[in-house]
Amino acid sequence: MSASKLVWLAVAISVLVYVGWAVAPASALYSTTLTPHRLLALAALLKLAALLLGAVWAFACRDRLDVDNPARPAWLLLSLGLLSTFAGQVCLAPFQLVFGETPFPTPGDIFYVLAYPFLIAALLVFLNAYREAGLPLGSFAGRVALLLGIAVSAVVILRPVAATPGPLLDRVLTIAYPALDLVLLVPLVLLLRMALRLRRSEAGEVWLLLLSGFVCLCAGDICFAYFQSLGEEHLDPFVHATFILAYALVAGGARRQLRILTA
Amino acid sequence: MTVRETVDSVVKVLGPYIGETMARSAAEAHCQKLGMNDGAGVGPEQLESLLGKLGNGLNIFLGRERSKAAIGEVRAALDARAAVR
Repeated sequence: MSASKLVWLAVAISVLVYVGWAVAPASALYSTTLTPHRLLALAALLKLAALLLGAVWAFACRDRLDVDNPARPAWLLLSLGLLSTFAGQVCLAPFQLVFGETPFPTPGDIFYVLAYPFLIAALLVFLNAYREAGLPLGSFAGRVALLLGIAVSAVVILRPVAATPGPLLDRVLTIAYPALDLVLLVPLVLLLRMALRLRRSEAGEVWLLLLSGFVCLCAGDICFAYFQSLGEEHLDPFVHATFILAYALVAGGARRQLRILTA
Repeated sequence: MTVRETVDSVVKVLGPYIGETMARSAAEAHCQKLGMNDGAGVGPEQLESLLGKLGNGLNIFLGRERSKAAIGEVRAALDARAAVR
């Protein structure tokens, strides 16, 4: 089995472990060997590793492209977005590694929120690069329908979170994450349509990984907002599983792109 | 060589790089913009313009070196097809 397949197997096992923790937290495995403190520490380390590698690989992609390549700034922005998320995770890691807890909010949230403009800009620059290159990206009517769909989703998703009482900063952040995700969804869906046309190709593999990662990131944020505002923190293992998968997929996409550029 | 035959060759070569669907839709879109009609023949200048535009698109996915190599493969496939005729 290749090293790459082994890494993906490890990611899959990690995700299953966290899903298992949410489903059967009282089982012998989770009460003796994989205690909550250990699992929280492991999740922190896995996220840190995936984010740092993703940022490094995305920057290396930027470095391999010519100065006039329109995708070059997009890879830089993606790298900065991942680096900002890494900084947020670094702020959170001491609490998770030493005390086995995840406080909210923390100074790390500044970096998590800051990551979004970079990630949204990265996807928009990718879209613009493909449009400039004359690649078909769908009709204007399709884009309007997409915006309407996301606006309706925003109302449905954000209403219960916004209606929850609590400290102002907590409420602002729990609304900000899914709201920013919904903004991220606009270029994401447009790129997803393009990625479908790339299927069964080298470039298609890159975009399958990147976009699956972003979809998991949105899902993780929305789950986090719901579990936090509705007091369902016992479901946090699902959030860890989703974020580990999201960061690993985005890092994997950057790694795959780097392999294409260095082949 | 006709536009249809040119597009088929492009799709065959570029499919593994960017997928057959994207290769076909990009090639057809560029042909349309260059005023190349489906059944008509392709002139040398039109072919160069088409390959130039395809190369720009490929450059984003593959980088300059591999995109040049891929366009070289398209040229070779078109030459081979022309030689058979």
